[in-house]
Amino acid sequence: MKLDLQTGSRSRILAILILFIMAIFVVRLFYLQIIEHGKYVAMANSEQLKRLTIPATRGEIYAMDGTTPVKLVLNQTVYTVFADPHVATDDAKIIDTIRRVAGGNAQPNLDGLLKNKDSRYEILAKGVTRAQAEMIKKENLSGVGFQAQSQRVYPEGQLASQVLGFVNNDGVGQYGVEGALNDQLKGTDGLLQSVTDVNNVPLTIGNKNIDKPAVNGQNIALTIDRNIQSYTEQALAAGLKRTGATNGSVLVMDPQTGKVLAMANLPTYDPSHYGDVQDAADYLNDTVSVPYEAGSVIKSLTVATGIDKGVITPQSTYDNKGTIDVDGTTIQNASLTEVLGTQTMQTALTWSLNTGMVTVAERLGDGSNITKQARDTIYHYFHDEFGFGQLTGIELAGESPGNIISPDDPDGGAVRYSNMVFGQGMDVTMIQTASAFSSLLDGGVYHYPTVVEGTVGGDDSLTEAAPKPTKQVIKKTTADQVRQMLVIDRHDNGASDTPGYTIGGKTGTSQALINGKYVFNQTTGSYLGFGGDDTPRYVIMVQVSGKNMALGGAADAGPIFTDISNWMLSYLKLAPKAQ
Amino acid sequence: MSYQRNYYSSRRQQQWNRNQNTVAFVSAVKLGPVAHTVLIALMITVLGLIYLTQATRATGYDYQAQKIDDKIADLSTKKADLEVENARLTALETVQNSTVARTMTPPTSTDYVRE
Repeated sequence: MKLDLQTGSRSRILAILILFIMAIFVVRLFYLQIIEHGKYVAMANSEQLKRLTIPATRGEIYAMDGTTPVKLVLNQTVYTVFADPHVATDDAKIIDTIRRVAGGNAQPNLDGLLKNKDSRYEILAKGVTRAQAEMIKKENLSGVGFQAQSQRVYPEGQLASQVLGFVNNDGVGQYGVEGALNDQLKGTDGLLQSVTDVNNVPLTIGNKNIDKPAVNGQNIALTIDRNIQSYTEQALAAGLKRTGATNGSVLVMDPQTGKVLAMANLPTYDPSHYGDVQDAADYLNDTVSVPYEAGSVIKSLTVATGIDKGVITPQSTYDNKGTIDVDGTTIQNASLTEVLGTQTMQTALTWSLNTGMVTVAERLGDGSNITKQARDTIYHYFHDEFGFGQLTGIELAGESPGNIISPDDPDGGAVRYSNMVFGQGMDVTMIQTASAFSSLLDGGVYHYPTVVEGTVGGDDSLTEAAPKPTKQVIKKTTADQVRQMLVIDRHDNGASDTPGYTIGGKTGTSQALINGKYVFNQTTGSYLGFGGDDTPRYVIMVQVSGKNMALGGAADAGPIFTDISNWMLSYLKLAPKAQ
Repeated sequence: MSYQRNYYSSRRQQQWNRNQNTVAFVSAVKLGPVAHTVLIALMITVLGLIYLTQATRATGYDYQAQKIDDKIADLSTKKADLEVENARLTALETVQNSTVARTMTPPTSTDYVRE
């Protein structure tokens, strides 16, 4: 049947009109669904699809308690309690509850915050624990909400704070292990993309859902032994109180492995309140970040260089006149009147004679001058072998390479090198010095220092880190001779050690360089020594200083070494040799 | 005169094949176009209902899964709190200040067993 509408009839007009309207619909729908397809899909997705970040849990940090890892830094979920004053009705009840439950975590002016009805967000309390948050939730306060966040917790308080560092408000590790191993500790955030309902509950609708789980950060166990660290900090604090020094650092390490057992610095800070620190220098771990002129503790390395090159033995002699001339500059001993005349290198080390060390440097040259050849040899040992002027690679943020002048530098002349052989004229860190010193105690093997023992699994099991590489820096015979010289040095200087053990060490007193000149009224005292039974078990380096204070290695740093050393013998349960 | 015309048809053109029954069942019920339309509409409706039921059931599982996730998160938080408490109670300072530690006295002498 053919519908035949008369031209101009109402039916025909209606049909045309309907066709026209239908055409408009078709065009409009084509525009919306085909041409604008992408735009509207994006709009729909933005309404329906939520992208939620699944935060990775930051790895925890452990210390060792003997051979057992113990937690030193943990994570805890805390809450920020906020109010929407526009919605909040019972202000009095809110104030009473927050003050009663949150206590010191409550903001001081709660009444004023809630009266600000134009505001939609006011923080009422910060750092509220889960238990406190549960108590507040039970009160069913209208207009009050909670925001959860993770924060670092330090059950041992300030212990090893400069080794640990802290995590800032952006979740980024700063200083110490937190800074150096931030990538390892932070993990990788996961992603959840899903259609959600009005309460943000993810629904398995749609084909664009993504569920990528977070990869939590690794738990790291440090080589730091919390008992040694604790005692070291106490001994350092007592030492500073006794001497009046304002700054001090102690480093304890195992010379057989290069593992750092303790690092203590004063002044220090509380990592859970890192924002309260007045002087940013307190964040620094001085043992790795602050190079200084270590003074006579370096003489043990000078003697090692001389013996290793075959130019001296412990019994080699020289004529000590109290002073020695180097290119027109007079180098003198601390005492101009003692042990003059023919002296052995052992005596030069025991009495810390600068003239003896300059003599070693001269013998590395033509015998009477610190020639370029001598300077090259000293630089080779100090820089290339013992690692001065280079990063040790220890896993701590802010390590300084120090500074040692090359003999090719215009400033690297004979006078400079005559100072360097007794520990002045170059800047070294304690970790560099103690690591170099440790090589004298393990048959000439240099161990790169480390603070990482390994990683800890979910069941608290420890997986030890791969050992760092080692290098032979001096001959074993050289190392054994210098080790014995250090024992004689300490013995002859009348140390009050627990009998039956092998203890050795060297003092160091370095003048401060103020306005380009060395001064006598401000000196830094250092002590670098070791102890153990037949095998050296520990190396301890102590440094004390203070503004306008003349502090000595023997009088001020030495007693701190002795205190820690005697305690270490008991702690390590080392049996004394038969007397 | 009459004659019979024979038509040849190939086996392929036949409605039946060898070993096949040649009896076909023809229903007595005849469905018209309206009935067909209604039946198709009903089938679509049933399929739609099945889809909706399954989708709703999946969403129900989502809510259950969310509840379990919340519970896991809550228990993890409680576990972390207990670990923090444990670490605080076994911290050196806490142990040193404990009443047990205060009553301890330093050893007067130490002997070593030699083999």
